Amino acid sequence: MSTDPLDRPWRLWASVAILSVFVFSVLFGFVLLPIIQGRGAGLDAFESICRALGLRPGSPAAPQPASEAKAQPTTRVAWSAELMQALDRPSAIGAQLAAACTACHGKDGRSVDPKLYPDLAGQSAVALYKQLNDFKSGSRLSAVMAPLAQPLSEEQIVAVSAHFAAFPVRSLPPAQMPAPSEAIERLVARGDPTRAIAACNACHGEQSGGPPEAPRLTHQGAQYLSAQLRAFKSGERRNDIYSRMRNVAAVLSDSEIEGLAGFYSTTFTY
Amino acid sequence: MTHARRLALAHFWIGFIAFAIALVLGVWQMWVRSPLPAPFLTASTYFSSVTAHGTAMAYVLTTFTVMGFGYYVAETALARALPAPRWAWTGFWLALAGTLMAVVTIFSGRAAVLFTFYPPLIASVFYYIGLVLVVAGSWIWCVLMIVAMGQWKGANPGRPVPLAMFATVANAVMWLWTTVGVTLELLFQVIPAALGLKAQIDVGLSRTLFSWTLHAVVYFWLIPSYIAFYTMVPQAAGGRLYSDTMGRLTFVLFLIYSLPVGLHHLLMDPHQSNAFKFLQVALTALVSVPTLLTVFTIGASLEIAGRLRGGRGLFGWIGALPWERPLVLATGLAFLMLAFGGFGGLVNMSYGMNAMVHNTSWVTAHFHLIFGGTVVIMYFAIAYTLWPSLTGRAAPSLAAQRLQLWLWFIGMLVMTLPWHYLGLLGQWRRVATFNYADPIIAAWGPWVIVSLVGGLILLVSGLLFVRNLLQFAIGRASHVPAEVYATAVHPPLRVPAALNGFRLWNVLVLVLMLLAYGYPLAQFFIIDPPGALVHRVDQRR
Amino acid sequence: MAIGEEAIVRSELRWAAVSIGVVSLIMLALIYAGIVHHINPPSNIEPIDPKTLHLSGEFTEANLGTRVSAEGQVTSRIVATQFTFQPRCIVLPANQRVTLRFATPDVIHGILVTGTNVNTMIVPGYVSQVHTVFTRTGELLMPCHEYCGLGHSEMFATLRVVPASEFKPDAQGRVSCDAR
Repeated sequence: MSTDPLDRPWRLWASVAILSVFVFSVLFGFVLLPIIQGRGAGLDAFESICRALGLRPGSPAAPQPASEAKAQPTTRVAWSAELMQALDRPSAIGAQLAAACTACHGKDGRSVDPKLYPDLAGQSAVALYKQLNDFKSGSRLSAVMAPLAQPLSEEQIVAVSAHFAAFPVRSLPPAQMPAPSEAIERLVARGDPTRAIAACNACHGEQSGGPPEAPRLTHQGAQYLSAQLRAFKSGERRNDIYSRMRNVAAVLSDSEIEGLAGFYSTTFTY
Repeated sequence: MTHARRLALAHFWIGFIAFAIALVLGVWQMWVRSPLPAPFLTASTYFSSVTAHGTAMAYVLTTFTVMGFGYYVAETALARALPAPRWAWTGFWLALAGTLMAVVTIFSGRAAVLFTFYPPLIASVFYYIGLVLVVAGSWIWCVLMIVAMGQWKGANPGRPVPLAMFATVANAVMWLWTTVGVTLELLFQVIPAALGLKAQIDVGLSRTLFSWTLHAVVYFWLIPSYIAFYTMVPQAAGGRLYSDTMGRLTFVLFLIYSLPVGLHHLLMDPHQSNAFKFLQVALTALVSVPTLLTVFTIGASLEIAGRLRGGRGLFGWIGALPWERPLVLATGLAFLMLAFGGFGGLVNMSYGMNAMVHNTSWVTAHFHLIFGGTVVIMYFAIAYTLWPSLTGRAAPSLAAQRLQLWLWFIGMLVMTLPWHYLGLLGQWRRVATFNYADPIIAAWGPWVIVSLVGGLILLVSGLLFVRNLLQFAIGRASHVPAEVYATAVHPPLRVPAALNGFRLWNVLVLVLMLLAYGYPLAQFFIIDPPGALVHRVDQRR
Repeated sequence: MAIGEEAIVRSELRWAAVSIGVVSLIMLALIYAGIVHHINPPSNIEPIDPKTLHLSGEFTEANLGTRVSAEGQVTSRIVATQFTFQPRCIVLPANQRVTLRFATPDVIHGILVTGTNVNTMIVPGYVSQVHTVFTRTGELLMPCHEYCGLGHSEMFATLRVVPASEFKPDAQGRVSCDAR
């Protein structure tokens, strides 16, 4: 260490300055302000200091509202980090269970009738997991799927979802792709701020960062997609968490629903 | 040409190329936000562009300019060859490789997370690794600066380190402290998530770690401007530096007070307590002290210059200053913009008023005014001042340089004054499109268009800047570069060790960081809050 | 140079004192606002799991919106999610103390209410809370002001502030936009 006598006052005064700022802040920010503010809200000094320090929830200057909660969830799916990692791993059980699905969803997850049944091949495992779970719990109603989903255990749902997600998506002959209208492309890529519609791609795109359970829409049958959009619009289908899809579908026109379904059924790009 | 000079040129050019690209993107973004129809617009292109603009301006332009300027100062102020130039070039290539990696990732649409990251949104890992490489390159620079000063002190025992180098090392030391926050966030939270090793993130912790970096990083960008104010401007104006000691004190104050203040970026966040917000706001208020000291000292230095040139009376010296010199002109314009921007900053830091402006265009206006109006305009002036010595040629036209600086000033005001106003009206940030069908928002439209005009003026100015530098190629050869560093009125013969090194100040930074950030970070390990699921923007799950 | 070193040091010290004075004034103004107007930043360290937010507790879908408690306390619970608010329209009474509580199941959001001081970040893992009094009636915009993904620009809600006479809770104490 330096023994320069010129240095001693610097060390002393720099430390004094910093400590006095700290003492001032603690005195006012940690103690005096909370006590004075808490008094106005009818809180005792201890409670308001705890709130100011973040040891208890709530503001030191206002009473905390009571919560009278009623649980009526739209879906019973509980997300967790472990679940997300499990869904990334296909397993042998999944292949066995998948045999029960082939009659409609086809071998390798390619639907035998895309008008009625969605393709499962290449679909997001999280999306498949969510829908199977919802069929099982009754959050999504289906006379066909409910009895199939009900006997499945949590592990089996995870396994079958991961199984189908691993297949490559169906390839479409290029001839099937008519040019989409500009208005539909705009909804897909830009959204519509006048109606608070986010771009479809903000959730359903390949590079979206949206909700993990948002399904991939490309390569699905147009009739299946439009039927789902109409069901969201009418409220017949309501297993979307916090109305994310119902809020959008409610303000789509019928022709937009047809246009969007057509767009996604024939595109590779998104 | 020496290594230091070639290094300086290489760094400046990378920074300025990134700057020019970012300007174009910035103007396009303003066009998109205005009521006028804009091309190429999708949600993905817009937010990728915002990410590229922020990354290029905040990480590339600044880091490269600071490094290039530092190498120049280390050689010229110390009058010694740069130690270990091979390491310096390694740092350059690392940072350049990182820049290219990040840029390619952004333009492939895999990193629309903006330059401030926002986990649990997670981009492609290459974006983050690219940025880590840029920072790693700058760490090499920091070490080289510290070593250069240490070697000089060894060869000149007892003599005060030249102020320009003292300040450069202050910045290097501060930058090492500053990058700890973001590095911890990237290495322990974001990059593991991007690699798929972690499926959830403690968002409160990541925001707090980023806030550690978020304020001090601004001073890292700003310190070259302050070095120019203290060590170059008095010389360019034909005067002396009023006080060398005050200069040292200013840089020391920046080092200790720019770090423990980051929570003022989280004033509206739920996960930090009132008490620690108050503590850091008090420390934030103190950050204005070094700037106030600078305004006084540089004002006094300029007054000396003005009076030496025959200025009389209370304000007569101002008119007598050599405003035709770009560095003096830039300083005058920067002080004006600093006054506006500094006022805006005081509003932001007081939490009552912050609630009115947080995440509105007011804040965007504030940091563009500080960044463009104090940081970048002085980068221009520094480049104009150093270019004759770096290229061995004189500027073909000072008028073109002055025009460029004036355009920048006018553009900044035309762009940011409407933003301040719109922010007070409640116009919010980070959106591509507004619903101009809403009558409240429709009334904002004309002001948004005015700010777009300001952006266009800035673009013209920026391109003129690049042209002015290229024009040096046709300038006449001038072999004796003028002395750029000012001497003080009373050059110090001896200074206390406290003002000739950073040992004491590092200890105090550590103490302050423990007091200000210790519990705010530790609380996350105590309450162990639930994590948020990773949301990848680069690929599907 | 005519200026002595002593004179320079004295002038610098005087200016330093002025600078410290300015800083002290700023802090005094903050303390004054804290004592007289009870100004506080919206801190609220109240952890909540974003992954199961929708399953139980106060932020389930059926429990959202404005509700008046038996004691007459008005609280509105709002979820911010990619890329919508639920509910998208919120009714609140004018000139009465109200509490807004926010949570998110996914990423970082934030809100402001145009023309007011209502402003908070909404961070996954925590309940955000703002106490306020709306003094003007009418429809106010409540946009998401923090980048939350590609649909951020289209994420906004409406806040309808009505006179106390038009604020009529139903039997459960709930008030919603559709009911009017």
